[in-house]
Amino acid sequence: MGKEVDMKDAPADEKAKEAEKQPVAVPEPAKPLAVLRSNLRLINNAVAQKETRTLFGRVLRQTAAVRKRLSARDVQAFLTSSLPASSSVAQQLLEALQQLADSAMDADGAAANGAAAEDRDAAALSPPAAPLPEVEVYCYLLTIMLLIDGKQYEQAQAVAAAALSHLASFNRRTLDVLAARIYGYLSLAHERTGSLASIRSALLGLHRTAVLRHDDVGAETLLNLLLRNYLADNLYDQAERLRAKAQRPDTSRSMQQACRYLYYLGRIRAVQQEYSEAKDCLQQAARKAPTSAIGFRVCVQKWLVLVRLLLGEVPDRTEFTAPDLAPHLVPYFNLTQAVRGGDLAAFSAVASAHESVFRCDRTHNLIVRLRHNVIRAGLRRTSLAYSRISLADVAAKLGLSSVTDTESIVAKAIRDGGIEGLIRHEEGTLEAARPTDMYATSEPQAAFHARIAFCMDVHNEAVKAMRYGAGGGAVKEFEDATALRERQEEELLAALEEMEEDD
Amino acid sequence: MATDLGPASTGFAELQAAFSNGDLDRCKLLLSRLKLELTKLPALPPVYESSSNALQQLTLARQVLELSVFLSIKQGDEAAFERNFSQLRVYYSDARGLAGLPPSESEATLTALNLLRLLVANRIAEFHTELEVVPPEVQAAAEVGQVVQLEQWLMEGAYNKVLDARERAASDYFKYFLDQLSSTVREEVASCSERAYSSLSVADAATMMMLSSEAEVAEFAAQHGWEVANGRISFKPAADKDAAAASTLPSLDIINHCLDFARELERIV
Repeated sequence: MGKEVDMKDAPADEKAKEAEKQPVAVPEPAKPLAVLRSNLRLINNAVAQKETRTLFGRVLRQTAAVRKRLSARDVQAFLTSSLPASSSVAQQLLEALQQLADSAMDADGAAANGAAAEDRDAAALSPPAAPLPEVEVYCYLLTIMLLIDGKQYEQAQAVAAAALSHLASFNRRTLDVLAARIYGYLSLAHERTGSLASIRSALLGLHRTAVLRHDDVGAETLLNLLLRNYLADNLYDQAERLRAKAQRPDTSRSMQQACRYLYYLGRIRAVQQEYSEAKDCLQQAARKAPTSAIGFRVCVQKWLVLVRLLLGEVPDRTEFTAPDLAPHLVPYFNLTQAVRGGDLAAFSAVASAHESVFRCDRTHNLIVRLRHNVIRAGLRRTSLAYSRISLADVAAKLGLSSVTDTESIVAKAIRDGGIEGLIRHEEGTLEAARPTDMYATSEPQAAFHARIAFCMDVHNEAVKAMRYGAGGGAVKEFEDATALRERQEEELLAALEEMEEDD
Repeated sequence: MATDLGPASTGFAELQAAFSNGDLDRCKLLLSRLKLELTKLPALPPVYESSSNALQQLTLARQVLELSVFLSIKQGDEAAFERNFSQLRVYYSDARGLAGLPPSESEATLTALNLLRLLVANRIAEFHTELEVVPPEVQAAAEVGQVVQLEQWLMEGAYNKVLDARERAASDYFKYFLDQLSSTVREEVASCSERAYSSLSVADAATMMMLSSEAEVAEFAAQHGWEVANGRISFKPAADKDAAAASTLPSLDIINHCLDFARELERIV
């Protein structure tokens, strides 16, 4: 809060800025341990109110905010204060964190003094006798997060496996959100150590259970994790079969999961050569992605560029120059230039120069398919520029070796409608077609009709929207569904309370 | 506890003998018996039980399946090819990492044949998904590289290269699939030539479409409705078709459009 006040003041009063900074005390960023304790209170509230979404969302957001400054000691202190000492869970997690705490001890010499005061406070709080399962699961989550941040992937896998077996004994809806996060981190830990294939059957079983219990968050997360698992091994066939058959909840509960799903679907469609659908999915994923998710946006952008090139359209230069995406997209930019210029030699040069990057991105096979587009683009330029050109010259311009090949390629291009022209076989030339008078055909009429129909549609939609008002008539998608759900849940609670009062 | 490989191995030896003799019926019989023997071996997928001769069991099973795939090509049975290859695929993908399992010599050939089969059947989407799963070292093999090249040529339209490849095919197995391809290719070349050329001499047409004699060319031309005169084939130029279409107004469409406009206008209050 203080920070906001500061920023507003600064432009207003330059001279007295120094003087103003003193009295306006900028509060220090909350201590991690305090944040964890407040999360504990929130969890208790949430369970008491049987609320599954918004409060847990707040818990996770606060944890994410504090994550970078969290140290092993903080989490250990939190564990001792929130779980009874005799709990096996506590023992397990404390041991797991011990290694991390020891290694951080040397680095954190100065911070230890500050933390000592916290520890005294912690010792003063006595842990409750029977902790809520949610609290235990939250502790698991914290430990796993910390271990992964500390790059202790084997430990993280072990703790995650323990968390899974612990979760298996419960069937509480309030655990769903936290459990979904744990599955995500389990998958991440295995991915970093390259052992993704081993958890595949576990994930499949969990997905089945989640769907049976109507655990929407879990089902969605697990489906995405499974798709990621299959795509990591290039098993596009199996991924598609799973996606086609698996039940997905009708509305997506989490924007991030929806984005991921669209990205994976786009990839599968691109490999299956259904480029228009792929472009749709990838564009939606790019639009819905949060601006801070740079890595994700880079990946989506790479695939989007390739799909657009394969469709025959050339992406804008502006797409490659966005500041945070630009350095990663350089190979793809060079590729676009080569494809646009129709220059086979440049294309092969770029493809071989950046081959390792493409293989790493798993886009190598798609790029091999681009060769055809390069030739088509080059052929178009040539046929537009010349009224008559010998096929040998065409071959030289395209960089193809033999003239008979060129002849067949040109013939196919003419048949597909890529270029207009006629080949004279005896003379070995390509003659461009006489430009036909566009207005003599019925094409203008068709174009006009399409535009008129579109305007009519817009008009009708607007009238309908005005007539029925928001929320009725046509179904609209809420970008932020939280407000709607909160309202619905409040209504439900009110109804439940009324029922209880009646009893 | 090592399972006895005796009956399976002898069965396999018999099968190999019959195969090299070209006795296809006997091969079929032996193969079904052999597959029954294989089900008794516990080291095979999906059980993967380890034992002292687990590796031999796996290698033997893989060899049997490879031979069955080759056999199905000889018999011209595509369904059998697909079945056997899906069983074999497990050995190439999941069992690949098993310690000590030596890489198979026929893997590249069989992968290439499978890709070719998909290509010829025009199942291009499956071709590409299969290609993704092929590991890089197998992709680098000559046969697989040839099949990938073939797909590119088909896409680009360099049909003469495709027909050349038939001559230079690596083995009889490839020839079987490439034969099926040549009739498709011929149709493609014909439709391309229709649009691209105004007329073609009969000799040139024969070379381009890989037809051997003038009589065949004449027959082919008759099938497609081209005129043959003075040793030249003339294709109806596409411009004529367009002109013919342009002369008649699409009256039904125009009427429909106008009625739509009238209705919308009436709705505007």
